[in-house]
Amino acid sequence: MPDPKKPRAPFAPWDRRELPGSFTVEETARRVGHYKWVEMRLFEVLGGWVATVPELDVKMRFGTHCYKHAWHSELWHKRLPELREMNPDRLTLPANDAMVEFMEALTAPEGEDKTLEKLVGVYRVLIPRKIAAYTYHRNNTSTITDAPTIRSLDFALHDEFEDWRDGEMLIQSLIESDEDVRRAADHQAKLESIMVRAGGIAGPGSIGTAEVPTVAEAHA
Amino acid sequence: MKRHLTVEDLARDGRFVRVNFEDRMSDPRNLGGPGAYGRDAAEQADDEDRTSRRGLGRMTPEAANAPDAARSLMHGIFVGEIQALEGAGRTCYDFDLGEGPDEVPYALKLDMARQCWDEARHCEISVKLTEWMGTEVGEFSESPFLFQAACNPDALLRLAGVNRALEGLAIDVFNTMRDFGDKSGDPVLEFCEDWMLADEVTHVKMGSDWLRKLTVNDPERRARALEFQSVVDKLFSLGGGRADEEDSPIRLARRFRQMAGFTDDEIDTIAGLSREARQEAEDLVASHRAAAGS
Repeated sequence: MPDPKKPRAPFAPWDRRELPGSFTVEETARRVGHYKWVEMRLFEVLGGWVATVPELDVKMRFGTHCYKHAWHSELWHKRLPELREMNPDRLTLPANDAMVEFMEALTAPEGEDKTLEKLVGVYRVLIPRKIAAYTYHRNNTSTITDAPTIRSLDFALHDEFEDWRDGEMLIQSLIESDEDVRRAADHQAKLESIMVRAGGIAGPGSIGTAEVPTVAEAHA
Repeated sequence: MKRHLTVEDLARDGRFVRVNFEDRMSDPRNLGGPGAYGRDAAEQADDEDRTSRRGLGRMTPEAANAPDAARSLMHGIFVGEIQALEGAGRTCYDFDLGEGPDEVPYALKLDMARQCWDEARHCEISVKLTEWMGTEVGEFSESPFLFQAACNPDALLRLAGVNRALEGLAIDVFNTMRDFGDKSGDPVLEFCEDWMLADEVTHVKMGSDWLRKLTVNDPERRARALEFQSVVDKLFSLGGGRADEEDSPIRLARRFRQMAGFTDDEIDTIAGLSREARQEAEDLVASHRAAAGS
């Protein structure tokens, strides 16, 4: 029988979590507020679109995905007070004006002949951007001090990957001609341009930067 | 995207056949009268002598028309679930957040999003059950009256219409269908209806809780919402077909309604509305038959 008094390391040999992270409490709260804003706008529009798409499979997928994004928004809503933001509405904001413009453009397709545009906006532009920002955050925050955010990011990312696959396959099943290909690409390009101006769902720095700092910047 | 859609805006594929409420209710096949699904000649002849429009009575497995009546009801459940899905989804979109008369709280939208997922699952379940029972999408018509009646532009009235009246009807229908599954020896039908019944009790309870919360300091507004609900409840009594009587095709599910926050008085009121609707419908049929015979 093992000796219960024998000293053991506080972290098991396979537990490689570290203290340092890229985000302060304030920066984390700012990002989480932007995430909540995006998740809210997304679940609202998916709910609204349910009635406007004639395709039964898309209609039912929108209904299912609507809830998942509502639940993500609730995860972020509950995280904000834990990050010293006692008024969650104060930080439930778009990252910038371009993000507002993006969500308006995403929401614009309305008619029952616009299912392709609706799907492209969500599953080829917004959800990939969410996966990118969530992944960057997950991989750069402190794995010890910010474990609750990581847990929520993991839940959300699991859903995002599942939904992205669902949505992408629906898009592929609806594209039947060169004209459909152009429609999808044109709409994607239009939305992508706005998203580039926004800098991602949490604004510039949503996925960090790959640029190497100059010597002067590095020593500043 | 605009807010507050009309019935005409509800998108459907080419298989769906839409009829208005009047046509739906006067279709003899839905009334158990001559030409009702699966009824044999003797039964149809018997119908000719009836003055009651409710010749069909409670759906029992022994009835000759039971398989077709059950298929028709299942298809009706399926299109009803689509409209319930659309109604819950629109509530996520149609209103701003806030505490004003045209606004809803964030937590209410979260509940509606959850309801969206539940209704999407119900669509999946019921479309599979239609296949299981031997019918297919579009074999029966769709009347959009559930959406039309329940989806009011006023947030509180919509809550009363969708989550109390429409979903309350769903409780009664699922309970009836679950019993039919049990009596007819169809464990798949009974199993699925029981699961959907659990969800509907949750949805009605959501409506009951929100109605109380949103009107806690505004009894006048609560009275308006309840009045709207009673109008919709009378409409949803399907000409008295959904009622408290033993022979009702769809019987009020008192126990489940109580679980969902209805008081005994409220259930009695719905039963009274159904009796009124039944009497009105029987009077109408009698007058039509008298006119036809004269």
